[in-house]
Amino acid sequence: MSEEFAWGLPVISYLFLAGVGAGALTVSASMFLRGGDHGRGMHVETARYGALLAPFPIIIGSGLLVLELGSFQTGNWLRFLNLYKVLNLSPMSIGTWLITVTIGVSLVYAYSYIRNAPGLTTEQRYKLRNVVSWIAVPLGIATAVYTGILLGAMPSRPFWNSPILALLFLISALSTGVAAILLLRALFHSGATEPESERHIVHTGYLLTASDAMLIGFELMAVFLFAMYAQLTIGNVQEAVSVLFTTSSLASLFWVVFIVLGLLVPALIEIYYVIPKLLYHRDFIIPKGVEIGVAVLVLVGGFTLRYVVVVAGQITGPIGI
Amino acid sequence: MVDANEYPAASRREFLKKAGGTAVLGAGAAAALPHPAQAAISGTETKPRYGMLMDLRRCTGCHACSVACKAEFDVPLGSTRSWVEYVEKGNYPTVSRSFLPRLCNQCTNPPCVPVCPANATWKREEDGIVVVDPDICIGCKYCIQACPYDARFLNPVTGAADKCDFCLHRVAQGLEPSCVNTCMADARIFGDLNDPESKISKMIASNPVTVLRQEMGTEPNVFYINADHSDPRQPGQRNEYIRVDTHRRNQERA
Repeated sequence: MSEEFAWGLPVISYLFLAGVGAGALTVSASMFLRGGDHGRGMHVETARYGALLAPFPIIIGSGLLVLELGSFQTGNWLRFLNLYKVLNLSPMSIGTWLITVTIGVSLVYAYSYIRNAPGLTTEQRYKLRNVVSWIAVPLGIATAVYTGILLGAMPSRPFWNSPILALLFLISALSTGVAAILLLRALFHSGATEPESERHIVHTGYLLTASDAMLIGFELMAVFLFAMYAQLTIGNVQEAVSVLFTTSSLASLFWVVFIVLGLLVPALIEIYYVIPKLLYHRDFIIPKGVEIGVAVLVLVGGFTLRYVVVVAGQITGPIGI
Repeated sequence: MVDANEYPAASRREFLKKAGGTAVLGAGAAAALPHPAQAAISGTETKPRYGMLMDLRRCTGCHACSVACKAEFDVPLGSTRSWVEYVEKGNYPTVSRSFLPRLCNQCTNPPCVPVCPANATWKREEDGIVVVDPDICIGCKYCIQACPYDARFLNPVTGAADKCDFCLHRVAQGLEPSCVNTCMADARIFGDLNDPESKISKMIASNPVTVLRQEMGTEPNVFYINADHSDPRQPGQRNEYIRVDTHRRNQERA
């Protein structure tokens, strides 16, 4: 791979980080809403980790993108603001506005989780949290989908030009969002004071772990459909997807790191720990180390997916001239 | 009317503005706005649609066009607006070598334009030339990805996307693009495709012509006579020896 890529690590990291942030935002807000009780629901302690995390990956990812711009690198540091003078049908233009709104909403959402947040009474905070959650869920989903549309919009890049890529990125974003929440919780949660609250936390962990196993199942299906339909066509798309079926290092990354380590292994571990409760109504017990390990694998897999897709799209193109 | 004395002293951006490309930000579909300079450039009732024809029966692969282009625009090292590929194929003694001059196809449906998030690139209503305003372009490289011909590159000096613009500054003054001007074999023909009396229209009407990657639906305005469309990646031709020299930093066709 001696080619120089127009889009390199900053773009890959952006697609991954925006996905994690959007996923964490959607998962946090939806589990909070599912928990009920207007601001104090049963999942709120776990939702807090997602809420406080979500803005940062999105902001850092977008920041990396700005640093990578040709205009920024030649010293026109504020040229990127031209993005805000326009709203056109370019996926990047819509995405810019969308991600800007999402960052704003995710910050407000995070703020609603800060205890003793200045300017708000506790009641007002709960009310704000409730309202913002309803906006955060669709915005998070839209942001995650957009990262796939960004790549998919170009017939000149047959590897990316697939309608299922956006869906794959959405599922991956939700899965990595769950993983990020579980990882943060495993690292920073040090036991609740009330047994009631601790029971909720364990139950939320069970639901999230089970959901992630299911998300990974859907993700495997999306990857399968992506690769299979590409393989079943003739011409540019088939030629492009064939980079995944060679002995190149990119194909190894895809199969070994993404499919096996990033999807199959974490899903199997999650199922192993979920089954006793799911089938036999036993307690859900998962060692902290395992929880951390699974989350890290899912996150590494999510990054690898973006890496493989972005690189594969650029080393392939239309065949013939 | 563009003042001939203003170029090249005036900045490129100034020129684009004066030559009719509106640079008003936020104006939405910038290319759709009418402009008084239009009539001045076309000089006729109907707007011209500029195109180029490569008569490869005459091309000798001398690279004079590439060099003239480099000189005309001071294109930074490692980048090319205009280049010539060599296509070698066959096994001795049944072999061929042909040349494929390349540049922006000034597509009728340019895929690079709708992806621009800053309205920094557009197809000029008045003559069909696809231009980039380097003072608006943020350098996101989306258009570079979207071009199926690898005609765009990030100019390392301006930090903006760059590409062939049919020598707009010369054309506006009634001159031919510099690659056409310099071609010693008369292999490059530039002109108005909307004018049935132009040399290019007559040549296209009286010869079999092809365009590059027609299946992409871009409807290029650069035509070829006698082009060898062989590509090493074409599955059906893998058993045949084919080598393409792109003469670019990127050794392979995109």
